[in-house]
Amino acid sequence: MFTFLVRRIIGTIPIVFGVALVVFVLFNIVGGDPALMMVGKHATAQQIADIRREYGLDLPLPIQFLHYLRDIATFDFGRSYATRQKISDMIMNGVGPSLSLTLPAFMLTTVVSVLLGLVVSYFRGKIIDRVAVILCVIGMSISVLAYILFGQYYLAYDLRLFPISGYDYSLTGRFEYLALPILLWLFLSMGSEVRFFRTAILEETSQDYVRTARAKGVSEPRVFLKHVLKNSMVPIVTNVVLEIPLLVLGSFLFENFFGIPGLGSITIDALHNSDLPVIKTMAFVISLLLIFGNIMTDLIYALVDPRVKLS
Amino acid sequence: MELLYLMINPKHTRLVRSAFALSLGVSLLAFVGCTKKSDLDPTNTFYTSSIAKIKGLDPAFADDMYSGYEVTRIYEGLLQYKYLKRPYELEPCLAEAMPTISKDGKTYTFKLKKGVVFQDDKAFKATNGKGREVTAEDFVYSFKRLADPKLNSPMWWLFDGKIEGLNEWHDASAKAGKSDYAANISGLKAVDASTLQIKLKSRSYQFVYALAMPATTVVAKEVVEEYGAEFLNHPVGTGAFKLAEYNPSAKIVYVKSPSFRKEFYPSEGDAEDQAKGLLADAGKQLPLVDKVVMTVHVESQPQWLNFMQGNLDLAPIPKDNFAQAIDPKTKGLTEEMKKKNIQLFIEPSLDITHTSFNMTDPVVGKNKYLRQAISTAINTQEEIDLFYNGRAVSAQGPIPPGLAGYDPATKNPYKEYNLEKAKELLKKAGYPDGKGLAPLEYLSLADTTARQMTEYFQKAMTAIGIQVKVQTFSWPEFQQSLKNKKGQMWSFAWGADYPDAENFLQLFYSKNSSPGPNDANYDNPEFDKLYEKSLTMNDSPARTELYKKMAAIVIEDTPWAFGVHRLTYGLTHPWLKNYKPHEFNHGMAKYYRIDTNLRK
Repeated sequence: MFTFLVRRIIGTIPIVFGVALVVFVLFNIVGGDPALMMVGKHATAQQIADIRREYGLDLPLPIQFLHYLRDIATFDFGRSYATRQKISDMIMNGVGPSLSLTLPAFMLTTVVSVLLGLVVSYFRGKIIDRVAVILCVIGMSISVLAYILFGQYYLAYDLRLFPISGYDYSLTGRFEYLALPILLWLFLSMGSEVRFFRTAILEETSQDYVRTARAKGVSEPRVFLKHVLKNSMVPIVTNVVLEIPLLVLGSFLFENFFGIPGLGSITIDALHNSDLPVIKTMAFVISLLLIFGNIMTDLIYALVDPRVKLS
Repeated sequence: MELLYLMINPKHTRLVRSAFALSLGVSLLAFVGCTKKSDLDPTNTFYTSSIAKIKGLDPAFADDMYSGYEVTRIYEGLLQYKYLKRPYELEPCLAEAMPTISKDGKTYTFKLKKGVVFQDDKAFKATNGKGREVTAEDFVYSFKRLADPKLNSPMWWLFDGKIEGLNEWHDASAKAGKSDYAANISGLKAVDASTLQIKLKSRSYQFVYALAMPATTVVAKEVVEEYGAEFLNHPVGTGAFKLAEYNPSAKIVYVKSPSFRKEFYPSEGDAEDQAKGLLADAGKQLPLVDKVVMTVHVESQPQWLNFMQGNLDLAPIPKDNFAQAIDPKTKGLTEEMKKKNIQLFIEPSLDITHTSFNMTDPVVGKNKYLRQAISTAINTQEEIDLFYNGRAVSAQGPIPPGLAGYDPATKNPYKEYNLEKAKELLKKAGYPDGKGLAPLEYLSLADTTARQMTEYFQKAMTAIGIQVKVQTFSWPEFQQSLKNKKGQMWSFAWGADYPDAENFLQLFYSKNSSPGPNDANYDNPEFDKLYEKSLTMNDSPARTELYKKMAAIVIEDTPWAFGVHRLTYGLTHPWLKNYKPHEFNHGMAKYYRIDTNLRK
C-alpha cells in the first residue's frame, strides 16, 4: 500500500508538468494578451509596454514557463491580474461556500440514487421500474438552467418557500440559503444517477452467483442487500469517488443564480479576462484534484473488492 | 440496512412503501419549513445590487462603472456632480469652492474644506487609530498613485500628458524601478495644508471632470502603506459610509460613517423635481439612510425576482421581463407594477453603439461609399425593436442627446435605411450589387446577443449583395484584434466618462488610434485640427458649433455606422425616496431615503 501511494504521488510530477505545458502553450496561442485586458479602454502603447515589463510578459516564453513551474513548486500563485486579489485567498474564501453547496447535494444525491437504484432494480420490468426509467429520462432531458429558473421562480419567488438567493456563513444561514439549490441539484442529478446505479445493479443480478444464491433458496431481499449491492460497489465507487475532489470547484450556474460566493466561476472569469495567474493556478489545482480522485478510487477498489491488490 | 431490508421485502411492500412516501414527504416539508420566507427589512437600509463582481475598493483601479459606484460610497474627491441638476454640473465636494483658474487657464487652485477627516483605522498610528484631517498633501499623494508605473493604474489616462512634471515623474519612476513619492512635481503642489495647486501643460476645460471621478478620490498614505497590496480590501475614506461587511464577489455592506462631514440635501431643483417630491428633504443632513447593502447578481433573474419580492429597492428591467413591467401599448407600467406602486424611470444614457470600420484596412478604410452603403442598409429601428425592446433611439451622429453639440435636427443621410440608395452607393463604391467585393471580415463576440446581432447584420448586408464572413472571438481575443488593428468591422459601444461631447469626439482623434480608444483608427487632419482647437475652448456657443462641425465630418466620412443611444429603464419601490437617475452615480446613495413605514 505504502509503495503504491509513493509511486502514485511521484507519478503526479510528470502529469502536473504536462498539464502546465499544455496550459501554457494553449494560453499563448489563444488566450489573448493580459496586458491589453489590464490596461483599460484608454490604452497607450507605452502603458502596454510598462505592464508587460512589470509582469514579466515581455520575457522569452521558455523563461516565462520556468517562472510558472517555479510558482507551482513553491505554491506561490501570486495575485489575479483582473481583480488583484491574492489567488490563494480567492481559493480559500471560495472553497467553503462551494463545498457547503456541493458536498451535501452530492451526498444526498448519491444516497437517494443508490436507494432508488436498488428499489427499481428489485422491481425490474414492473410498473415501478418503468415509471422510474421514464421519469429518469425526462429528468435527464431537462437542462440544468431550466431546473434553476423554474425552482427559483416558483419555489422561491412565487411560493416563498425559500429565499431567492444569497449566502450566509452561519450554519443556519447556510441551511436557509442552500436548501433550494441542494434540492434542485438532487432532482436534476437523480435521473442520470438512478439510471446508472440501476444498470450497475442489474448487471450483477444476471451473474451466476446470484442464480446460485436464488437456487439455494436465499430470499430476494437478502440476495440484493448481501450479494448484489456489495458486488455493484466497484462501478458505483468509480462513479462516486472520482466526482468527490471536483466538488471543491463548485458549480458555475448554481453559484451565479443563487449568489453563492464559491469557486464555480473562478476559472470561467479568468478565461474571460485573460487572467493568466488564475488560469495557471486553477489548471494546477484541477489536475491535482483529478489525480487525487484516481488514487482514492484505486484505494477504495481494494477495500470493496478483495480481488484487487495494490502493489 | 434494516430499513432497506424492510422496504423491499414483498411481505411488507404496501406498508413500507406508504411509510417511505410519508417519511419522504415529511422530510421534504421539514426541509422546506425550516427555511425562512423572505421578509422585508423594516430598518432604514438601502438595498441595491450590481450585475458585476466588484474588483476591489482601490480608487486607482475603479475603471469600471460598478467598482466606481462602490468606491464612492466610501471615498470622496475634490468635486462631485450636483445631484438634481440637469444638464450635469459640477460642485465642490472636499474642495471648499470651485477652483480659481489662472488667466492662462493652466493653473487650478483648490481650497479644501476644513475639518474633513478620514474614517478611523488602525493605520493612523499617530492618532491612535483616530482618522486624521485630510490635507492637500493627501491629494498630491493620491494623484501620484495614478501615475505610479509600479501600480499601473488603468486610470492613468486621466492625467497622462496633462499635469506639468507628472509624466517626467512617471518616466523617472519607471526607469528607477521605484517611485519616489517625496519628489516634488512642479504641476502638483500642496501650497499649504488646505491649498492644492495643479498646473496643466496646456489649457483643458475637460480636466475638472477628472476631479469628480472615482479614481481621483483621496486616499491616506498611512492606510496604503499599512495594507500594501491588500489596500484594495481595506478602504478608508472620508465618505458618507464605511465598510461593515465585505465580499466583493457576493455582498458588501456599508454603515453610516460617524465621522462624515456636515453635508446637506440640496435645496436647488427644477419644477419637476419639486413636483416629484425630490426637494422634500432639502437642507437635511446626509446621509439619510443608516446602511447600504449591495448584493452581486450576475444573473438577471435573481436580481429581478429579489426586486419584485421587495428585497431590492431598485432594479433595471431585464430584457426577458420587459413585457411583465412595461405595457407595449402605453409604453408605461403594466397593471401588475402599478398595483405595487412601483415607479418607472426612463433616462437617456450618455452612450452610443456603433459598427466600426477599420480605416487602416485597404478595402473598407479607403472606400467611403462602401461604408456609407453599409450604414444605409442597416434597419436601426428594427434593431431597436428586436434587441433593445424599443429602449433606444437611433444615433444620427457621434454625440448623444443631453450634451452640448448634439443637434436634434441632424439627419444622418446614411442612417435612413434605404436599400435602393445603399445599392447606388455600393455601385459608386465600385461594387455594383456587391460584385467584385470579397466577403468582408466581421469580428463578433461569442455571447448569444452578440451572435444574434451579428447574424442580423449579415442578413442586412446580404440584401445589398455584400457577403460578410464572421469571426467569433472571446473577449480577450476580440480586444487583441482591435488593439492590433486587425479585422475589417466590428461592433462596440462607448459610455461617457464625463458629460462633455469631447469624450465622444476623442474617439476619432488620430493620436488616439489603437491601442487607444479610436479603434476605427480614423485619421483626418481637418478633424484633428478642429478637435485640438476645441480643447482650448471653454463651454460656449462657439465650442458647441465646433463640436457640430466635427460631428458633421465623421457623419460624412462614416468611420462608424452609427447605432443607437440607449435608454435606461429603471424601477423603484415606493419606499425609496429622493431617487433620481444619474449617469455618474458616484456616492449618490447618501441622498436616498427609505420610508420604513411603506416597506413594512
